[in-house]
Amino acid sequence: MVTIHINGAPHEAPEPNRNLLSFIRFEAGLTGSKYGCGEGLCGACTVLVDGQALRACMSTVGTVAGGHITTIEGLADGDDLHPVQQAFVDESAMQCGYCIPGFIMTSVALLNREHYPDRRQIREALSQNMCRCGTYQRILNAVESAASNMAGGAQ
Amino acid sequence: MTDAAPPTATIDEPGLHITGEVALGFPPPPRTYRSVAYANTSPDVEHARWLTVRPDGTVVCYTGKVEYGQNIRTGLAIEVADELRVPLDAVEVVLGDTALVPWDMGTFGSQSTARVGLQLRKAAATARKALIEMGADRLDLPASDVTATDGRIASNADSSRSASYADLIASQTITNPIEDEIPLTPKSAFTVMGADHKRIDAIARVTGAAKYSQDITLDGMLFAAILRRPARAATLTSVDASIAERMPGVAHVVHDDDLVAVLADTDEHAAAAVNMLQSQWQENAPKVSTIDLPNILLESGHDPYLMQEAGDIDAGFASAANILEATYFIPYVSNAPMEPRAAVAAWDGNNLTVWAGTQRPFGIRQELAQRFDIPEPQVRVIAPEIGGGFGSKSPYPAAHEAARLARIAGVPVRVAYTRAEEMMYTSMRPAAVITIKSGFTADGKITAWQFDAYHAGDRPFLGRRGSDTPYDSPNIKVTTYTSDSPLATGSYRSLGAAANHFAREVHIDEIAATVAIDPVEFRLRNLSHARFRRVLETAADKHGWQAAAGSSGSGQGIAIGVDVGSYCATAVTLDVKGREVQVDHVTGSLDCGLVVNPEGAINQMEGSIVMGMGTALYEAIDFQDGRVLNAGFTRYRVPRSNDAPHIDTLLVGDPETPSTGAGEPGIVPIAAAIANAVYDRTGQRHRELPLHRYLK
Ligand code: FES
Ligand code: FES
Repeated sequence: MVTIHINGAPHEAPEPNRNLLSFIRFEAGLTGSKYGCGEGLCGACTVLVDGQALRACMSTVGTVAGGHITTIEGLADGDDLHPVQQAFVDESAMQCGYCIPGFIMTSVALLNREHYPDRRQIREALSQNMCRCGTYQRILNAVESAASNMAGGAQ
Repeated sequence: MTDAAPPTATIDEPGLHITGEVALGFPPPPRTYRSVAYANTSPDVEHARWLTVRPDGTVVCYTGKVEYGQNIRTGLAIEVADELRVPLDAVEVVLGDTALVPWDMGTFGSQSTARVGLQLRKAAATARKALIEMGADRLDLPASDVTATDGRIASNADSSRSASYADLIASQTITNPIEDEIPLTPKSAFTVMGADHKRIDAIARVTGAAKYSQDITLDGMLFAAILRRPARAATLTSVDASIAERMPGVAHVVHDDDLVAVLADTDEHAAAAVNMLQSQWQENAPKVSTIDLPNILLESGHDPYLMQEAGDIDAGFASAANILEATYFIPYVSNAPMEPRAAVAAWDGNNLTVWAGTQRPFGIRQELAQRFDIPEPQVRVIAPEIGGGFGSKSPYPAAHEAARLARIAGVPVRVAYTRAEEMMYTSMRPAAVITIKSGFTADGKITAWQFDAYHAGDRPFLGRRGSDTPYDSPNIKVTTYTSDSPLATGSYRSLGAAANHFAREVHIDEIAATVAIDPVEFRLRNLSHARFRRVLETAADKHGWQAAAGSSGSGQGIAIGVDVGSYCATAVTLDVKGREVQVDHVTGSLDCGLVVNPEGAINQMEGSIVMGMGTALYEAIDFQDGRVLNAGFTRYRVPRSNDAPHIDTLLVGDPETPSTGAGEPGIVPIAAAIANAVYDRTGQRHRELPLHRYLK
């Protein structure tokens, strides 16, 4: 039995080998983290573990035991969207939207470790994720604007 | 844990209801692809509710269309908001739930969507007229002395005298039929339409609240994993489930005719157990491989269809000053939507509910009713949000699989495809071989044009689309053939039009280079069609096109196209380093007539350009001895953020021209524009896709 914290709430997992994405989606009932490939290649399943991006599909609950996981559902503060979420809305950075939670989580992790990323760093960081609808230009614009809003707000 | 929340709309609520005919232009005219593809689908009722103004003054409208990224929800809400004089956020759109919405043939092509938009505008105008009469009554004024504005009916003379829609409707239930001839708001009075709007469903998409088929779970549900055949034409000869049955969490191993599946308490347990089924297969089909494909297509071509003919093609070549002949190859491409198909089915006696992210909820309903021999109204198909599809999610075998398994198991069952299942057991864009022979004068006039297209698959309309040439020529002969397909083919953004355009637009570039004329100038000399000329000129101009004959070294390329009635030109600038092509800048010019939602149209252009870039540079499904080799992202490369170009989109349509589709035309010229730019950069002409394989 291991305990993991998801968006602040403790969850008991009887099997340490349980796939983390499957656990988050079907035991914790948080389906905002998506299955896209199950092979660590598309980033749709990205969550934060203690602030860092992790492909949930490639992990087990045992490997994150004791850790604090944030999923897309845990990012907003009530009705107040996280600045990255707000920027995706403002830039209409989405089509079908299936990839978007993963992109947002990857972007939040990037901005956690790099407060002033340039366009090139954003492109490289987000190349771990895949958007088959091809909304990259909007996604890059959104992350750039979130970065400048967050940097501005912090001062 | 029941995540399948019912929609907020209910059929019995009070309000002002507007009903109308459901069969908008149905059946479609013969020879359109819709009538060929899904002729088995027909409405079971003639009239249905299209729109309700609720007692609180908000509006809900209903359509059987589905949302799979094209932003139809916002587009329709804008039309209704404008026609009914309410703010955009007062409009809710209920999509794709067969228990709630008017019958619909399916979400494909663009004309059917335009017809739904028109029907909803008529419904909104009918509601507005009723509200004006009610408001005039309340204010004790003639109807001509009041106006509907911002959710209220107000006196023209004294705007402080007004009544809100909510006050007027109160607790009444009123049902009015759509007035078919009702005058619609002139475009000059539009205030919502044409402005830039955020999507009305954006917040659900950034918070994880939006539910896709993969996300639907029900109490007591079992997770299925299906035993898949190793190749398209393989039949099961024996299966031994004795080990699988004893695996952890396994509830049943089902063997129902051709369907063998494990049902378990988690997706992981089901997947682990299905791997332990011992199965034997008989493989019947010829064991062909990628390398055989061009010959298969050329040699098996049958049922020639004369798509376009003018003059006398043989005489045209006999008198031509120059002749150029070339062959072009386009491989199979996977739609590979980010969301693999999934379905959840639940039976209640003889009533079946299926959540399935299909483009054809009513078509799937009919198929399921037939399969289980129950009346259609006893089947409810709900299409939640759909994580992409690009045309491929019309057939939806997961819905059948889930319904069959749930029937047998007696509990709800979830079938969710893995990435490999999605790429191997659904359909692909047909491969094609196209041969072109052209005759032309030294000063760059095309005098003869012969185009023979061999598209894989048994649905001939796929390959006809976009095969006719827009260029002037006295002698033309365009023929399409239907060829055998070793792999299952299906719909994809623009169908065969992308392949036809690739061949034609590369060939046009080759002629231009042969006669040493700038590619833009060459096209203009041979194009009299005004809408084509406009997209070409605007794209070239905005892109900063530098006129040059032959390979200039700068890496610029251009191409034009037409699809679903919309005209498009794309200019690109790129660099080539070894086998890597970096597309830096793309300018797309689109004429799709009146634009309801510019943000939506631009987003679709950008998406089409990126997707088409993948087909130009990287994407091809490979197979060996009849088995697909690269059903997964390790060996199937798609564009990523570090491949993405800067894209400028111009919307150049005339607002007085009716709206045509914006979701598909952007993909038809892009592959040729890229191949032409690679030629411009390197001097090497490529006639086969994807370029990544052929660059040295
Ligand atoms: S689902 Fe985890 S990376 Fe694709
Ligand atoms: S928005 Fe559809 S995959 Fe990214």
